[in-house]
Amino acid sequence: MSNVISASHLTLAYNKGRKEVIKDVSFTIKKGEFVFITGPSGSGKSTLLKSLYGQLKPSEGDLVVGGLDLVNVKQKKLQDLRTHLGIIFQDYKLINEWTVAKNVVLPLMIAGYSVEVQNTQAQRLLKHVKLAEHANKFPLELSGGEQQRVGVARALAKNPVVILADEPTGNLDDYSSNVIWDLMENACQQLETTVLVVTHKIPTVFSLPYRHFIIENRGVYEVH
Amino acid sequence: MKFIKNHLMFILPLLAILLGAEFFMVFERTTQLYEKGLKESYTMMVVSHKPVELSQLKELNRHIHSSEPIQRERIVSQIAKGLNRSSSQEILGALPYFYNVGLDSYMKTSALDDIKLDLESDPNIKMVETFGTNHDSSYRLFSFIKFILNLFILFMAVVSLFLIMKQMEVWKYTHEERMKVMEIFGAPLMLRLGVLFRVAIVDAIVAGVLMSLIFFYVKFQWAERSGIDIIMQNHEMLMEITDLGTLFISALLIVIVAVFSTAFTSKGVRE
Ligand SMILES: Nc1ncnc2c1ncn2[C@@H]1O[C@H](COP(=O)(O)OP(=O)(O)O)[C@@H](O)[C@H]1O
Ligand SMILES: [Mg+2]
Repeated sequence: MSNVISASHLTLAYNKGRKEVIKDVSFTIKKGEFVFITGPSGSGKSTLLKSLYGQLKPSEGDLVVGGLDLVNVKQKKLQDLRTHLGIIFQDYKLINEWTVAKNVVLPLMIAGYSVEVQNTQAQRLLKHVKLAEHANKFPLELSGGEQQRVGVARALAKNPVVILADEPTGNLDDYSSNVIWDLMENACQQLETTVLVVTHKIPTVFSLPYRHFIIENRGVYEVH
Repeated sequence: MKFIKNHLMFILPLLAILLGAEFFMVFERTTQLYEKGLKESYTMMVVSHKPVELSQLKELNRHIHSSEPIQRERIVSQIAKGLNRSSSQEILGALPYFYNVGLDSYMKTSALDDIKLDLESDPNIKMVETFGTNHDSSYRLFSFIKFILNLFILFMAVVSLFLIMKQMEVWKYTHEERMKVMEIFGAPLMLRLGVLFRVAIVDAIVAGVLMSLIFFYVKFQWAERSGIDIIMQNHEMLMEITDLGTLFISALLIVIVAVFSTAFTSKGVRE
């Protein structure tokens, strides 16, 4: 099976390289793998995800995601790559001036699907995250758990190749958390989606085989 | 309130630019009319030993446009009143030929002097009188006012453009979150700028409509009562309806340039 993500001697830093967060780490992740990433707060978990969707340029080493070299990447290529990623943020990052339905189909809108397709897909996706009746509300009218489910629906909208989730269930109720874990398991199992989830707690009920990375002291270690 | 202020901060500078552009166009046309009037009323006097044809004069200087002989017989008959026929014939024989010569465009005094030199280089031409200084001074004043006004229009346009770009920054800040989220999901630049464009184009249209109202007021109300001959007689030609099209297009162009310039001045999203 092919590598979807491969990092080699990767160093990630802020402030023009002066503040190193992750230093000289190497790992590969194959298609369809499910990876949990844990570690103390401030250890660089979000930083690693940022580098994977091209928001932070590696200061040293190599990083290839979906066949794209993220060290020397052109804006246009990065745009293309991002349309194949499903990103989920701890703070949801929904567009508050848009309805829930419109938020969910942002990836379809970017891909240029017709409004009809967008509407039917919005219905389907919102049903998956158990929010069908909230389609025409605005994000701020929903609870945190509901907003995050909108975020997950958006990430899954276009069947991404890779899901990158940063503490998706951070401080959500059990119901929302379970819905979200189920969806990610399904995507991984049925569509062979590669999933990387940063979390402070690996769910106790989890049916798929998974890998577990710990980020600590600027290194990335795998737990076997 | 804030909403209205935000839009006025964009519409007013845009309106200033549009008004400036319209003033500029009107002034250009006024100048042309004025020069045409000067050109048509102007002639220089050419005195020659023997009769000259227009074509000969044109060969001497290409700006010569028309030439009309002054009736010598009438001059002589005035001077020779009371003299007998043979002496008046003698005077007529000694008298040179006079022509009123018109030019193809309006000329400054120095250019008139050049033409005078050209003409006088022909031995047949006895004398050229340009009446230069006379008609030059009012034209100079006119040109000076026009120059100052254009300078002022330019200055206003530059200041307005900066105000517009500043307002764009404010909008961009308001829409930044959305544009960032869209970027993370791989939206191309045009899609991200879509919102800015929509707001800005609506404002450009508002500015265009206001401009049209001012335009029609000036054209049909003020111009006819202004008391300025050249404007009253020519307001049809000075303020053409098609100007509005030009102004609308300029407004849209300015908006497009402004949106793109704000987009590109803040590109570094990648950390
Ligand atoms: N934009 C930034 N500029 C400078 N330092 C940052 C930036 N973002 C995060 N950091 C620092 O990098 C380190 C890792 O942050 P982060 O990846 O957010 O940690 P985690 O997600 O594991 O809690 C922290 O010390 C944090 O202060
Ligand atoms: Mg974090």
